[in-house]
Amino acid sequence: MLETLSLWFASNFGEQTAGWFDYFTNGKHLAWYASVRFTLLAAFFGALLAVLFGVLGAAARRSGFAPLRWIGLGYTTMVRGIPDVLFFLFFPLAFEQLVEFIMSRRLCSAEELATAVAWPPCQAAQWYLTTSEYLVMACVSLGIVYGAFAANVVHGAMNSVPKGQLEAARAYGFNSRQIFWNFQVRQMWVYALPGLSNVWMLLLKATSFLSLLQIADIVQWADRLGAPNYLARVGMVHPDWRWKYYFVLFLFYILLTVISERVFDWLQRRAGRGLALHGEQ
Amino acid sequence: MKKLLLGLALSAVVGSGSALAADVRIGTEGAYAPWNYMDDSGKLAGYEIELGNELCKRAGVSCEFVVNEWDSIIPNLLAGNYDVIMAGMSVTDERRETINFSAEYYPPDPSKYAGASNLDADFENLKGLKIGAQGATIQADYIESTLAADNTILTYETPDQSIADLVAGNIDLLLADNSFLAPVVEGSSGAIAFVGPDVSIGGGVAMGMRKSDTELAEKMNAALESMKADGTVDKLIMEFFEAGPFFGN
Repeated sequence: MLETLSLWFASNFGEQTAGWFDYFTNGKHLAWYASVRFTLLAAFFGALLAVLFGVLGAAARRSGFAPLRWIGLGYTTMVRGIPDVLFFLFFPLAFEQLVEFIMSRRLCSAEELATAVAWPPCQAAQWYLTTSEYLVMACVSLGIVYGAFAANVVHGAMNSVPKGQLEAARAYGFNSRQIFWNFQVRQMWVYALPGLSNVWMLLLKATSFLSLLQIADIVQWADRLGAPNYLARVGMVHPDWRWKYYFVLFLFYILLTVISERVFDWLQRRAGRGLALHGEQ
Repeated sequence: MKKLLLGLALSAVVGSGSALAADVRIGTEGAYAPWNYMDDSGKLAGYEIELGNELCKRAGVSCEFVVNEWDSIIPNLLAGNYDVIMAGMSVTDERRETINFSAEYYPPDPSKYAGASNLDADFENLKGLKIGAQGATIQADYIESTLAADNTILTYETPDQSIADLVAGNIDLLLADNSFLAPVVEGSSGAIAFVGPDVSIGGGVAMGMRKSDTELAEKMNAALESMKADGTVDKLIMEFFEAGPFFGN
């Protein structure tokens, strides 16, 4: 398929164009294009978890039960203050150690536990981390960090739902759980979406840190492809081209931004259906 | 439950699943031509990849290469992410304290300085220069311990970054393995050249393994011995480095 296209380019646009076509469709470049899936998956599942943590965090902050309220407040203030890169490095490692600690207590013999010099004490407790595990942990990290921002946004949006709506619901005999989910949460989206779209944009940008977790993502491939190469054996000989590859990443993220804005416009219209807003009827 | 589902969904999409398929996992950097690098098709290639595959064949084990960044390559061996390091790693006493080395599969080779071809420096007494090396290497140790007082030392995470900075003129000198620098100098069409004297540091290059894996070390050493005896190692050195040093049988 690629070869046919390459021949077609050679006959129609000359050898040079065909050479560039071959360069941009070699295995390394195809791997680069394919690595976009890591970015998109991390952004999508990260955002899903962030909204989930956001709603839970906001609900905790408004809880009538004081310890839950403290957890909600602690979560939104502490996690928002931790740099996302730091959390990205901390969380997966800490989680891996925790899992290995628990597994070693269950799987290793008492003798192994007492005499071990290396970690984990026995090979059975070893947890091999591959790209998929790292990706799951990246999603959870993104979810936790940006969930804290989302919780703040959602908390504010819930306060913006007109009190009269909730009082009317109570007057109709709904219980407090029904009021929370069917009135407050149902109506708060229209106030939360502008803030959430900001959180989404931040989260999207944070997906460029995936390579910190040994995930061969678009940034890492751009690094590899752009690095100067002087060995014909390795591939096309070229000087430092990293800025060109980074520039392509700029364009990619801008494209994602434009698409996101469209989607949020549509969501905003949808969330506002049937609500009386700003004097509209 | 949700996380579990998410995990399953993700691993289905990513489709790795081969975590424990091979008997032996070999960690490499994948960015250190001609030792280990990614070729145009995006697959690992290089001296150590061919050598490692042949070693595994002779040792009767199935092997799989894992790419890991250089600066965490020893910690991740100890953590068990892979069982063998083959990443152009020189044998040093310092490394011997934490890991076990096999017999050498590349003889000791001097390190060299590369710099702009018109660089005028007094190598007896280097002063006021910016000198670079890849971090956590024998070269970085050497320049940090002997040249840091009068010069500015810069270390890089990847070999590519060090070359890029040298070519861009951000450093005056780069100290690195001859085997890695030689093709770069040759291919740079005069932009950079070898300058100054050779620096002999470190031993030959060998496989790094956990100290507890004595059985694996014996197997690999026996396989390496047979490859040296029938000249396969020297043939691979010739193929990838085009010049010695050879083991010479």
